[in-house]
Amino acid sequence: MLECINLTKFYKKKCVVNNLNFYVHPGEVFALLGSNGAGKTTTIKMILGLVKPTGGEIRLDTKLKIGYSPDTPYFQPFLTGRETLEYYAAVQGLSKEERKEEISRLLSTVGLEADRTKVRHYSKGMLQRLAVAQSLLGDPDMLILDEPTAGLDTLGRMEILGLISRLKEAGKTIILNSHILNDVEQLCDRGIVMKEGVTVGTWDKSEYAGKNLQEIFMEAVGGNIG
Amino acid sequence: MRTIIMFTALKEKVRQRVFYISAIIGIFILMLFSTGGATVSIGGVAVTDYRMLAPILLTLINALSCALAVIIGLGTIPNEYERRTSHLIWIRGVSQAEYHSYLTAANILSAMLSELILYAAVLIYLLMKNYGTDLWRILPAYLISSLCVCIISLLTGWLSVLLPRYAAGTVSAFVMIAGILYSVLDLVKNILGGFSGKMLGVLLYIIPDLNGIQAQAGNFLTGGDVDIHILLKGLFFAYIFLVLLLLSRKKEA
Repeated sequence: MLECINLTKFYKKKCVVNNLNFYVHPGEVFALLGSNGAGKTTTIKMILGLVKPTGGEIRLDTKLKIGYSPDTPYFQPFLTGRETLEYYAAVQGLSKEERKEEISRLLSTVGLEADRTKVRHYSKGMLQRLAVAQSLLGDPDMLILDEPTAGLDTLGRMEILGLISRLKEAGKTIILNSHILNDVEQLCDRGIVMKEGVTVGTWDKSEYAGKNLQEIFMEAVGGNIG
Repeated sequence: MRTIIMFTALKEKVRQRVFYISAIIGIFILMLFSTGGATVSIGGVAVTDYRMLAPILLTLINALSCALAVIIGLGTIPNEYERRTSHLIWIRGVSQAEYHSYLTAANILSAMLSELILYAAVLIYLLMKNYGTDLWRILPAYLISSLCVCIISLLTGWLSVLLPRYAAGTVSAFVMIAGILYSVLDLVKNILGGFSGKMLGVLLYIIPDLNGIQAQAGNFLTGGDVDIHILLKGLFFAYIFLVLLLLSRKKEA
């Protein structure tokens, strides 16, 4: 479904992603693991076409529809959740009928159907749920979720994880960018561990059954659990 | 359907209360001129005739509208990049040129609406002074005059893509002031002569004649002749700034 081959990105002379290789199968939840500054978000931006790779190749079906939820979701503060989805659905080119039906369904999926408040009054958890909802507009084949649980309290985190879990059950292909190992362990099938733009480890749930992801991660990044 | 980008940006401008500021300024101008609070004298003689006062009133309104166009246009595009709302637009297949165009169109509409509110003050002034027969002339005069805010909005939009906010604001404000003082600068150019005169001539060549466009709006309102060449030159400037806007890209979106 998606394959990155020797993907490289330089910002001026600084290498932020170096010869990255990975592939994602249809229907799986793939994790991009790594600490802050590991190059995960840059990798996502290259897949989305927001940033041009300096080298390497991204093999992606041209007909593939991708939904994206950014790490720090920001929406027009004067719009309601429904109006926000209306906005992105219209930009995406969905017809009026499609918009009406799909937006109600998505608001219900993320638990914001009854909400009438402006986005400026939203909590972080509500913003993340709205971000996931807009990524689902047009029923994409693949979802890229960038740090969907970052900065959330326990309840907010559980809501988002529940939502991703339901999407997984529905058969969506998901790339999850996170540095929260518990979330990855709970949701993902496979993944890579990145450090300073390089792949330093791979992880597969079926191969590492019973082994703690934290140990694998620490081995890969060279950290010490203490 | 992508026009929703423009209408949403316009909605934000409405919520930023730009139009209320215009309305307050309009009421203030109206009060000054209708109550005699502002006395305009030419050669020591007080100007009270509508045909002489109207162009002065329109020049004032045009200058304010252009200033509002700079203020409105400065933030729109940079704000979208700072907020990173643009990312969710790019991934939906909207090009930078298209996105910048819609946002600038929202700026133009906002500035034109602000000017329309200020023109309402002229309309009320005409009604108060019993110049009812000239009322229909207000709309074409407004449309001629709004060419100035279009030019300034397009210029500010283009510069806001290329330059940091303060630099874009400074250049836009400079062009606006020079454009409004075009006839004065032209006179200075003729008085100076020599190298300084030539330099000023070059500057005037690349600056839109906002004063000239405004004068045509005033001429139309008072039943005078309209020089179509000045308007065509203004449209040419608008076209050039539009093309530059469409060609300009933010490096790292």
